Amino acid sequence: MAEPERPPTSLTGGPAAGEGAAELGPDPNALEPAPSAAVSPGTEEPTGDAKKKIDVLLKAVGDTPIMKTKKWAVERTRTIQGLIDFIKKFLKLVASEQLFIYVNQSFAPSPDQEVGTLYECFGSDGKLVLHYCKSQAWG
Amino acid sequence: MLYKYYLMTVEATSEPATGGGWRERMAENEFLEEKTFKQHCAKFIKHSEEIGDGWEWRNSKDCSDGYMSKMHFQIRNGTSVTEQLFLQVEDDFELHSDDSEVVGPTTASQVIRYEYHVLYSYSYQVPVLYFRASFLDGRPLTLKEIWDGVHQFYQVRLLQEPWSTITQQEHPILGQPFFVLHPCKTNEFMTTLLENSGKDNRNINYITSWLSIVGPVVGLNLPLSYAKEMSQHDAETD
Repeated sequence: MAEPERPPTSLTGGPAAGEGAAELGPDPNALEPAPSAAVSPGTEEPTGDAKKKIDVLLKAVGDTPIMKTKKWAVERTRTIQGLIDFIKKFLKLVASEQLFIYVNQSFAPSPDQEVGTLYECFGSDGKLVLHYCKSQAWG
Repeated sequence: MLYKYYLMTVEATSEPATGGGWRERMAENEFLEEKTFKQHCAKFIKHSEEIGDGWEWRNSKDCSDGYMSKMHFQIRNGTSVTEQLFLQVEDDFELHSDDSEVVGPTTASQVIRYEYHVLYSYSYQVPVLYFRASFLDGRPLTLKEIWDGVHQFYQVRLLQEPWSTITQQEHPILGQPFFVLHPCKTNEFMTTLLENSGKDNRNINYITSWLSIVGPVVGLNLPLSYAKEMSQHDAETD
């Protein structure tokens, strides 16, 4: 299969400003049925059908740790829950700490919501901006 | 927008005398007033009516209080309603990797009738989610059966302190036993959210934001159009 040359922000076709889109841990044990990682940086590695992944920009809220890599290429079928689990692992948060993700800085999609659907509803400039926040919500 | 004005008023009076610490304390006190609660509920219900989401406002007998109410039917498989979602969990979260094999006497699907109420808490000055659930034959769910319905995504956290998260209390208006999602941390996470959105002058609906966060814990998922409606309203007021 030919590997198309493309800049990191594949959907816009333009060069990435600052850091490029980064790989979301190609864990061979990830339970995604697709052979490629659910989330990937895709800079040097082929991501297959470019439409399968969308660009996500993650922004920290409050005193939540900031991720070194903010821009990710995420498979459309990845759920919010999967994304939150990934961010928690990346930030080395314990499983019991609660992390929320917001669209439009104001609305928390439910855990089963797919990132691709969110991109279609709230994406702009070829990417989906998501804010994440470590919060004590209960207890 | 009355609520936005309220937010701006608080910020205007919180001139820090000695630096950021005092301002942070003021921010923590951005409570929700009851009339603002009612206004946001009204907007929320208006959108619910537009999309047929089933929320309605109910007044207490003397009409001094009111609350939002919605009924929802949940189909639960023999083990857990979230069983099919275990596939999304990374291997490290092994806590739930075996839950899909829970053996029960039957694997028949069950229909559960959930009733959700959104009330205003005077003591906490935040909205509170009350709910109750029963099987179609009228038998109410036990607390354990309620817990089985909590999305496994939240269970690790909630199970650490179950007594302070979902409790059974008397409904302030109806006087009947309901389960409640404890509101003691609501002001904390809503303040963070409001501060963050306030910086961009966003006009958010407190009820929509709050319910999007707490609802999914007990099976209540808001359609995304609520979020789009908020941002559209925002654009109109610009």
